[in-house]
Amino acid sequence: MSDLTLGEVIKLDCLGKKCPMPVLMTKKELKKMTSGQTLELTVDDIGALKDVPALLNKTGDELVETKQDNGKITFIIHKA
Amino acid sequence: MAETVNFIVKDKSFEKFAMMMILGTTGDAMDTKMNFFFTFWGLNLLKKKFKPKVAGMPAPMKGMAANMFKKRMKKFGIEDPWGMIKDAVDNGNMKLYPCQMTMDLMGIKREELLDWVEEPVGAASFLEMSDGGRIVSL
Repeated sequence: MSDLTLGEVIKLDCLGKKCPMPVLMTKKELKKMTSGQTLELTVDDIGALKDVPALLNKTGDELVETKQDNGKITFIIHKA
Repeated sequence: MAETVNFIVKDKSFEKFAMMMILGTTGDAMDTKMNFFFTFWGLNLLKKKFKPKVAGMPAPMKGMAANMFKKRMKKFGIEDPWGMIKDAVDNGNMKLYPCQMTMDLMGIKREELLDWVEEPVGAASFLEMSDGGRIVSL
């Protein structure tokens, strides 16, 4: 967690989007990124709370942190 | 080795179309190999310009409900469902197979179907391609 601020952070806003869009958009973004980069993903679809980790289990990228604030969910993801 | 999930699509409803689209595009994002086998009424979903209707609504509202669902899904970010399916097909993870025998049974010609779906196959081909994988009937 201490290396959260290292390297470039790419932001992806999926507010208002519902299944399957947050997963598809996250995959698309991760595909463009290079290893070691960080993705900050924001969603408000409650289903994404389980779906995004399920995607990352498949892609092998690391979920570093999940924050929840007033219905807004932020995922910090490290590209493997 | 990539795992395969094989779907049988036998209905032409909006609901089945949406399930196919959501599972197919998500499976593509998760690098899952998927074969979709379209048989009987499900073949209609592969027809050019076919507009699926909502099966779960009373008869006069089936078409209207489909438009309402489409509008709502657009708000969820699903703007071009067929475009999304095409991407998953182009990525090589999603394959759409029309069933030859039911096409003949129902008098459906290959040229009525979308050009970019796979060539029609029979039951043995579907069972062979899904051997060792899971089969789900939609």
